[in-house]
Amino acid sequence: SPQPTPKAQYTLTYASPYPPTHPFSRADTAWMKQVEKDSGGRIAFKPFWAGSLISSDMSISEIRHGLADIGLITPIYTRGGVHLQRAQAGFYGGVKTMEDQVTIYDCLVPRFPQLSAELSGLHVLAVQGGNFPGLMTRNRPVRTLADLKGLRLRTQTDSIDVLRALGADPVNMPMAEVYSALAKGVIDGVVAPADTIKSLHFSEVAHYFTTLRLSRGGYPARAMSDQTWRRLSPDLQQVLEQSKPKWEAELNANNARAEKAGLAFAKDHGVQIIPLPAADQARFDALYNRFALVQARQLNAMGIDGEPVFRAAQAHIASGQTRCTKEDKHD
Amino acid sequence: MLAGGIPIGIGLMLAGLGGMAILISPEAALIKGGVVSYEVISKYELGVLPLFLLMAHICFAAGASRDFFAVAARFVGHRRGGLALASIGGCAGFGAISGSSLATVATISSVALPEMRKAGYHPGFAAGALAAGGTLGSLVPPSGALIVFGIIAEQSIGKLFAASLIPVATQAISYLVTIILLCAFNPALGPASTRAPWSERLRALGRIADIVALITFVIGGLMIGWFTPTEAASVGVIASLGLLALRGGFTLAALREAVHATLRTAGMIYVIIIGAMLFATFISITGITEAMSGAVVGLHASPVMAIVVMTLVLLLLGSFLDGVALMLLTTPIFLPIAEALGYSPIWFGIFLVRTMELGFVHPPLGLNIYVLQGVAKDLSLGTIFRGVIPFLCADFLHLAAIIAFPAMALWLPKAMGA
Amino acid sequence: MRPAEETKRPESGARRLLRNAAYAMGATGLGLGAASDGIAVAGRHLGLHLLGSIEITQGAIVLLGAGGMLYATLEGHHASVHMVTQRLSQATSARLARVMAGVSALVFLAIAAGSIWLGAEMWGGFEQTELLHIPIRWLRALWEMVALAIAALFARQALFGNAGEQP
Ligand code: NA
Ligand code: NA
Repeated sequence: SPQPTPKAQYTLTYASPYPPTHPFSRADTAWMKQVEKDSGGRIAFKPFWAGSLISSDMSISEIRHGLADIGLITPIYTRGGVHLQRAQAGFYGGVKTMEDQVTIYDCLVPRFPQLSAELSGLHVLAVQGGNFPGLMTRNRPVRTLADLKGLRLRTQTDSIDVLRALGADPVNMPMAEVYSALAKGVIDGVVAPADTIKSLHFSEVAHYFTTLRLSRGGYPARAMSDQTWRRLSPDLQQVLEQSKPKWEAELNANNARAEKAGLAFAKDHGVQIIPLPAADQARFDALYNRFALVQARQLNAMGIDGEPVFRAAQAHIASGQTRCTKEDKHD
Repeated sequence: MLAGGIPIGIGLMLAGLGGMAILISPEAALIKGGVVSYEVISKYELGVLPLFLLMAHICFAAGASRDFFAVAARFVGHRRGGLALASIGGCAGFGAISGSSLATVATISSVALPEMRKAGYHPGFAAGALAAGGTLGSLVPPSGALIVFGIIAEQSIGKLFAASLIPVATQAISYLVTIILLCAFNPALGPASTRAPWSERLRALGRIADIVALITFVIGGLMIGWFTPTEAASVGVIASLGLLALRGGFTLAALREAVHATLRTAGMIYVIIIGAMLFATFISITGITEAMSGAVVGLHASPVMAIVVMTLVLLLLGSFLDGVALMLLTTPIFLPIAEALGYSPIWFGIFLVRTMELGFVHPPLGLNIYVLQGVAKDLSLGTIFRGVIPFLCADFLHLAAIIAFPAMALWLPKAMGA
Repeated sequence: MRPAEETKRPESGARRLLRNAAYAMGATGLGLGAASDGIAVAGRHLGLHLLGSIEITQGAIVLLGAGGMLYATLEGHHASVHMVTQRLSQATSARLARVMAGVSALVFLAIAAGSIWLGAEMWGGFEQTELLHIPIRWLRALWEMVALAIAALFARQALFGNAGEQP
């Protein structure tokens, strides 16, 4: 029940554009329970789901101005003011796990102040990785990269160049239209993580899922307004700081669970899962990175030096470290 | 405020912004006003609505609607309310193109309302039929509302579409029956004209061959996948310009008039939508939704009683919130309750969208009614609401049938093996 | 709004200019939106792909929405309830209409203020569309101007009544 306990010293509003049943929201709910417990009941939450309080692409501004105390932010989908945040999520080519995505982001933050500057007025409470998108196709299976030739694929902006270089015909359409576009053959496939096979019902209209992994980066995903942060007593601020890894672990766990459920659902519904040969994946990653570097350099037009960020992320991935190295911290 | 004659959209903005300023802060309210207003005018899905309107107005300029209704008049005009019956058919057909109730009512009424009034129909009756008919657009596949439900409830969209067919067909039939009954009791509502001989009917039919081709092209292209529902609006505008040229009416004056009519209706609808969205945010901050759903759970009633109470709550909320906002807010709360009571989620989706449709036509916030008033400025809201009442009665009976006989929704998907 | 308002009387030059601007904005939006989607569909069937047509349509829609709202206001075309005002005397209802116009002006002033605040914050942020890099700040600025103009139109009506439309 969303009713706050009467003794709570602070009742904080939490807002997300996702419905409460979404994997992100399950993690958010678990985190809220945890914080209520850790604070000894001094903090209570009042959640607002499904975009009832904040929007999906302007939530950074909305939280900054106190529409909600805490909320979900997606700098990777925000079109202004957070260009390095947005671009850096495309610098992780070859990254292996969601945990690594989060770690690398945390290592980049102290080295590149621009990342924090873009989120001024906000206090980041959790960083999030994400499932690796694969390729769902309608009736033309993709077994090697060569099979991409001529396929009309709905994809996110950061992979348009790569897919085009591989001979595909990338298109950009609202995700809400993908189901009917697949059903009617307006497109041949969609680049999307496996959990969408179940959640967006793609298994009804597409029959192949190629485990081509599109690399993704970590990004700050939950934030509190500075106004609210300053209102909290230091010990409660500490409770929130300490809950950060717990929230991140919940997010990763729920994402992983959703991906597993999506794949299981796909198998049950006759979707053929096609593993992409390792050599093709490596070739794809190399190509992906080549275009990521181009995108990093394009940030110069906005007065942002993106290339060092790209190099730092790639150096970290190449090193195979699971923690920030000394050099990462002090460079 | 509303009673004082303030524009409805602005009244909603005032309540939404004022409520937010009090419950959160003036700063938050101002920022939300900025966010929502720009979001509404830049939203692709809403932007197709004016394009559909433009298509309708170009068709109107081409004389297409006149000819179309001339055919309807020749075939069913000798029956009382014949043109209203034809409009319901037009709404169902257009709903299949647009996927939206607002687009359907705005487009069909701007074509059909002038024709019906010319034929001497009672304006309230004509408007009521169109307001109700427009709601068919929410449920007829491809229904945007059912896709949203399928995604938040994690249900098969294909099954939902199949499940919607019998309910939407019976809904259309219930409107037809309402029209026939109303005109039987009060023939002045939709006066009959003289029966036209078959030769004349066929001649009239020949004159709309080009319109039939246009409609077939748009609906057919949509079904085959030549273009998406949102692109259909643009394709429709271009095709209707072709029709206008073909019919020799392609003049600057005709285009100017079509754009003029489109812009003022579109602008009016945008103000209402911005207001409705700000108001919806305010309503969710008040926690009314949770309180009401808590009340449903607290009743521990029998399944049918619980659904009836749920219906009342949805209707109440539906009079304040627009469709998708209502669905996003209530699905996560009500669906688990319905499932625990033994209802299938597919049935629940149909029930929810059907109930939500009612919110488009019942007072005090029936968006279809406001759109209609924008199309026909000389009709008062009171006239339109009074005209809607008989159709609302039909809606309630139809909704009761869906609740009493879940098989109406569930039989077809099962029979199709979907 | 009373039908009386819709009777054609000579317009002031400023008002005519505003009407023409609103009309041009809306018409451009309609034309651009229909053309860009139409060309995209045609291109797809001819095998050449025009990425980003959605972004042009989205930009066009802003022109259309902003222009449309301004146009509807100039035309006095907003839906409203007359059930009470119809029963009042001519003078009382005229006074009430001016009060409501004043309230409407304040509401749109709030919308404009929020939009300008947000727009000012985003101004230096290079807000742009993903593919074609259409700069969104100018579209936001356009909406801010339109919201202010709508507020001004209502304010004028509040101060001068219907006569305010033809000074
Ligand atoms: Na539909
Ligand atoms: Na409603």
